[in-house]
Amino acid sequence: MSVDDIVLKTEELYYRYPTRSDYALINVNLDIRKGEFVAIIGQNGSGKTTLIKHFNGLLKPTRGRVIVDGKDTRGLPTSELARSVGYVFQNPDHQIFAETVKDEIDFGPKNLGFPPERIEQARQRVLAEMGLQGLEEEMPFQLSRGQRQRLAVASVLAMEPVILIVDEPTTGQDWRESISLMELIYQLNKKGHTCVVTTHNMNLVSLFARRVIVMWRSEVYLDGTTQEVFAQVDQILRAGIKPPEVYELARRLLPDVRLDRPIIPEDLAELLVKEREKIHR
Amino acid sequence: MAIIELRDVSFAYKDSTVLALSHVNFSVERGEFVGVIGPTGAGKSTLCWTIVGVVPQILRGEFSGAVFVNGLAANETPVARLAQIVGLVQQDAEAQLLMTDIEKEITFPLENLCLPREEIDKRLNYVLDLVGLRENRLRHPFYLSGGQKQRVAVAAVLAMEPEILILDEATSELDPVGAEEIHDLAGSLKKQGKTIIMVEHNIDELARHADRIVVIDHGEILRDGPTREVLSDVDFLCGLGIYPPQVTQVAYHLSRQYGVQFEQFPLNVEEGEELFGKMLRA
Repeated sequence: MSVDDIVLKTEELYYRYPTRSDYALINVNLDIRKGEFVAIIGQNGSGKTTLIKHFNGLLKPTRGRVIVDGKDTRGLPTSELARSVGYVFQNPDHQIFAETVKDEIDFGPKNLGFPPERIEQARQRVLAEMGLQGLEEEMPFQLSRGQRQRLAVASVLAMEPVILIVDEPTTGQDWRESISLMELIYQLNKKGHTCVVTTHNMNLVSLFARRVIVMWRSEVYLDGTTQEVFAQVDQILRAGIKPPEVYELARRLLPDVRLDRPIIPEDLAELLVKEREKIHR
Repeated sequence: MAIIELRDVSFAYKDSTVLALSHVNFSVERGEFVGVIGPTGAGKSTLCWTIVGVVPQILRGEFSGAVFVNGLAANETPVARLAQIVGLVQQDAEAQLLMTDIEKEITFPLENLCLPREEIDKRLNYVLDLVGLRENRLRHPFYLSGGQKQRVAVAAVLAMEPEILILDEATSELDPVGAEEIHDLAGSLKKQGKTIIMVEHNIDELARHADRIVVIDHGEILRDGPTREVLSDVDFLCGLGIYPPQVTQVAYHLSRQYGVQFEQFPLNVEEGEELFGKMLRA
């Protein structure tokens, strides 16, 4: 991969809130490439929300640089960054406000000053992508919850962002609702969108993310593939995170097995059966 | 006698035709730790509110059936009186906190009960130690982490010395370690003889301390049994969109797909290590 693939870059990023004397981010250096699915995890207060807020320009570095889609965020208003970074809310009802599906989707592109043909094209594209064709004139609040969720994502996609950010998809939602939002994001990732998610739910991380960044005490503490990071059980516990149970079980029962991809319970069952066959051969 | 008893309770919120609770029969013995699980909108919070009298006394609607808490009829007993028997901590601890430091947050309700100063100090010190916030006692709640705020909320409720503690999704905003702290606190309170009801999406944590699990959906109790029995029904829980502990799921796949026999499914990593280890060596 070439450097051109990097869609999000932080260089020696430091941030200090104006009212505080200590740094909320210390020397954060990250490269996120096009098409990655990254989870940023960490304890409350570890710096992950502060970091995410630098990606859509809500915060600007105290020191160092953040480059989003080739642009230094320091010179850019948040509205300009909205072209590159789409921010998906946890709860679709916190985002939806327009009278019709059409108006909801067109709102972002209009604000970005897209010409009418491009607004029309963007709308048709996201309606198709999110399976909402024929619902343009409906009132959002009469749609099902699943449809409202897809509408919320559609209206973000209409702005043609390069990066999608999902901040804690589990708050106020049960497992099924969280999964359905993540499935949508996953489909978009497969089509080439770069996705960054923050969450406390490690089971969700292990189902979807391919790369995990662990924040601890304002610094990047671990950064690697999902299976590499979760396999480092002791380090990750020190950072206040509990890895999914399957990784802890794999470490205790299959210490010699090197995981080449993230695992879920089905995978561990299969690995255990293989191990048993190996022992008895 | 059960410390909490709901007999054929049905409730629909004002202006709603949907039953938030539908013919619920539910009882809790003194000293039990009961976990309540179910999808969003299942009626879990409504169940909690009937026990503290908020439903139907403050949140009104069509109420039928009977709720007894320590022998008192909860739909008629003043909520303030019930609050001395049952403490409720909700998801958004911040909404509960209103004073300018932790100490005041804890002592304010006690002063309202006109307790003597020595008693107030005794309780204050006890709960501060219990939740590990003694050193932060003079801090403004605003400067606390999410986990600390949640622990202040628990401390303030515990200072009232309720016999029953209800935690309604009290860990949902917390990071994994913060959530574990609250679960362990609830577990140690149970050991001291308190009755605990915990509404929770984090089934892995719930499995560690709960004696019993109740599954609710559409206002009805679908399951009510020992923790292991309820959580071992992986198909049923997944059908409701509930994610059982991963270790239990591993056992389920081993038995379902590979014919491995288990006497019982494991609920935590330690049990899983032992059972699966035996399977590898067998």
